Amino acid sequence: MNSTSLSRLFAARPVRRRTFFRVAGATAASSALVLAGCSKDDETPEVTAEQTFTLGTGDTGLLNYAYLLEQLEAAFYDKVVATPPSDMSAAELAYFTDLRDHEVIHREFFKFALGTSAIGTAVFNFGSFTLTTRAGVLAAAQTLEDLGVAAYNGAGKLFIDPVYLGVAGKIASVEARHAALIRDLVLPNSFAAADVVANDGGEFDGLDAAKTPAQVIAVVNTFLNITISAAGLPS
Amino acid sequence: MNILKLLADLAEVDPTLYDRLSSRRAAFAPLSKLGRKAALAALPVALATAIVPAHARDIRTILDSLNLALVLEYLESEFYARALGLVAGAPSVPAGFFPAGTRPAIETIYRHEQQHVRFLERVIQASGGTLPAKPRFDFTGSKNGAQAAVFADVFTNFDTFLQVAQTLEDAGVRAYKGQVGFLQTDNSLLEAALRIHAVEARHASHIRTMRRARGANVKNWVSATDASIAVPGKTEAVYAGEELVNQFIAGLRQVPFDQAPLNTVVAVAKVAEAFDEPIPASTATSLVSIFTY
Repeated sequence: MNSTSLSRLFAARPVRRRTFFRVAGATAASSALVLAGCSKDDETPEVTAEQTFTLGTGDTGLLNYAYLLEQLEAAFYDKVVATPPSDMSAAELAYFTDLRDHEVIHREFFKFALGTSAIGTAVFNFGSFTLTTRAGVLAAAQTLEDLGVAAYNGAGKLFIDPVYLGVAGKIASVEARHAALIRDLVLPNSFAAADVVANDGGEFDGLDAAKTPAQVIAVVNTFLNITISAAGLPS
Repeated sequence: MNILKLLADLAEVDPTLYDRLSSRRAAFAPLSKLGRKAALAALPVALATAIVPAHARDIRTILDSLNLALVLEYLESEFYARALGLVAGAPSVPAGFFPAGTRPAIETIYRHEQQHVRFLERVIQASGGTLPAKPRFDFTGSKNGAQAAVFADVFTNFDTFLQVAQTLEDAGVRAYKGQVGFLQTDNSLLEAALRIHAVEARHASHIRTMRRARGANVKNWVSATDASIAVPGKTEAVYAGEELVNQFIAGLRQVPFDQAPLNTVVAVAKVAEAFDEPIPASTATSLVSIFTY
């Protein structure tokens, strides 16, 4: 969160006056529904010689990006709930069951939204986590939940269709609720610690982290035996 | 009549149009049961009911959205400041108000709300806007004694304090979510709003954890299984509509979570938990007014 390194204060940047003060007449500048109604995004995952997969472009690419993230989270919680560590309490297992159910719902939302444009089912390798202990599971969950929050925070502005901006918001806050729960289980009162909510005296103090699709995909790739490319996604 | 072009033009003027159309599913649901021709004939009527009243009452600018956010942050900031004894002239909470170990989290949340206030003030002022007046707050809901209190012991009973905190944080999450559509023409502000929105959700989750530790039946997300803390006739709007299982994709198509095959894959009872819902500015403003005079 290199918030202080910007040469110019974000908050000192004037907002475009037209949108700031009034709404003028309609223009074709963001005829989102026309685009949504007419565009037929036939992007499908392409396999290149390097076994690099792409997610598509535009809103379809972003939906596949979210679908991939939710697949990752759902697969993780599925694994934990199926074979929980022996030192996890019944109450904690109940939390994890809720989390699993939420992530499956998110996953299926995006799968439905994508229809035939959906990427396939990814196979994840959680070998970098220690899933045999409560501490290891909680640390892994914290990593994934914070990643999810930052991903939605960064992706919202990239959607063209306001319906999907709205959905990103609806899901982002649930992921943030998850993240805070997990963090408090790892370390009480760490629900919004400085590693996720800036508190360094900079201009973005009090704001959650945001990550670009490229930053997030780089992390997701560490759980995959293939390589996903963020190329093509809006940025 | 080019319905798509019309909708797109209206959406340019009012980015929340789609959400409102989605929320009018009652008006649209019967269309799917009609034939295509009949449905097309009925569409303008449905559109008119969806667009005209709401559109007439909510044409917002980015400044309007930021002002609303700032008033919400003033409210939250002042709420925690009073509990922490940081408001000059305001009565202090009784000794021992904070049970052991609870004060640091409230200090963290207060610091964030202050940071949000400063952030929004800077953005508004840098663009030549005038800051909204900071309201006078009465967190008991008595409007400075003009009416019966809603939360009489908010600063003497820690459980009441946490209930009000949860009410404010959950409402804040919904209010920010209701404004992001109005910020879509400014990517930087939109991202900043989403980042603040996520912090409010972390706060809401933590307050819920604190309440659960004190015996309340409440999850970290809004759930139908939560023991209700809504005060009839006052704060019901904070949770109204959160129980919806209806989610929509582009083209206003509803995701059939409760039908086969999706209902065999997902836990239908938890669909509402998995999506937080927005509230419009008017709802947020009326909630703020409970605590102002």
